Amino acid sequence: MTYDDTTGSLASLDGTDSAVLGRLAEVWARVDPVPADLVDRIGFSLTLDALHTEVAELRRVASAPAGVRADETSIEAETITFTTDVLTVMITVHAEGDVVRLDGWVTPAGRLSVELHQAGTVTSTDSDDEGRFVLEDLVRGPSRLVMRRAEEPGVPVVTPMVEL
Amino acid sequence: MSDDQAGPVASETAHRDRSLADQAADAVVALRDGDREPLAALVAELTPLLWHTVRAQGVAAHEAQDVVQGVWIALLREAGSIRDPMATLQWMLVTARRSAWRAVQRRRSDLTHTSSDERAMELVVTPTEDAPDATVLREERDRVLWDHVQTLPERCRALLRLVAMVDRPDYAVVSQSLGMPVGSIGPTRGRCLAKLRAALAADPAWGAR
Repeated sequence: MTYDDTTGSLASLDGTDSAVLGRLAEVWARVDPVPADLVDRIGFSLTLDALHTEVAELRRVASAPAGVRADETSIEAETITFTTDVLTVMITVHAEGDVVRLDGWVTPAGRLSVELHQAGTVTSTDSDDEGRFVLEDLVRGPSRLVMRRAEEPGVPVVTPMVEL
Repeated sequence: MSDDQAGPVASETAHRDRSLADQAADAVVALRDGDREPLAALVAELTPLLWHTVRAQGVAAHEAQDVVQGVWIALLREAGSIRDPMATLQWMLVTARRSAWRAVQRRRSDLTHTSSDERAMELVVTPTEDAPDATVLREERDRVLWDHVQTLPERCRALLRLVAMVDRPDYAVVSQSLGMPVGSIGPTRGRCLAKLRAALAADPAWGAR
């Protein structure tokens, strides 16, 4: 192996180097902290993913504030679009006090089963013929949608975790 | 390491009994046997390093979360095809860098398509590394250190950022994942650290305690 060089250079790393590196780690952790819930979200994703090994991963296309501004009323709305080769889903999230309402629209339009997975709970519905669905009275927190198409029920389409 | 000058060690940088490379190897071997416990522990240990790897590439914070999540999901799916479990950490860091690079490219092309969007303008003018606000780095020495780090070449900044996150046994893997061959990492890291130390030594604000 070629680790000799590494070992050699490590020997030259003195206490001051270690102190500087240690302080650097702290500074970076403070300037750009890892989001507090990221580790939990990942654990949750991996648990979910283990249940379905063949999931299509969606990617977040755009996330922009939409609708009424939060400082004007208590209603906040955010629209997020996810897309894969097989389908695109646009969701609008309305916060109504402590609970959240989610309006979704899937294209190509059609009926599919929709589940919203949150820590420990699953809320289900079906989209209508136009691909629209609504999930109400949701709690806030990390969430992801799992959608199953009638033609391929064994291959669910899963969104990345998003914060409702 | 119990170096007094290092001050309190942040939880993200807690020193480990075993290298990340070893822990990642164990997690993959266990995963193949259907045991997911070591993977769960690895997620907590390794996510900070992946986060900084992705952020150092200039990926926006909300997107960086998706990218880091994606690296773990990729590991879960590819665990069976990683031939040498000891290469797992390297594989994950390289995957993180590539995904980060793709995320940055996508963002650039999205921006050119939606340049009329107000938000797009906002993204264009937002620097990838925001200056921390004064309350984040309260201590004078931290601000001095930060300012000097900003004057280093980008390659040095990225290297020191990641090397600071790990212990010695993982230095080589971290450096390789940045495209710096094993043979040259010692000197490269040495040069980057030496530059920083020289700058600090010449700054009276750092010397004063």
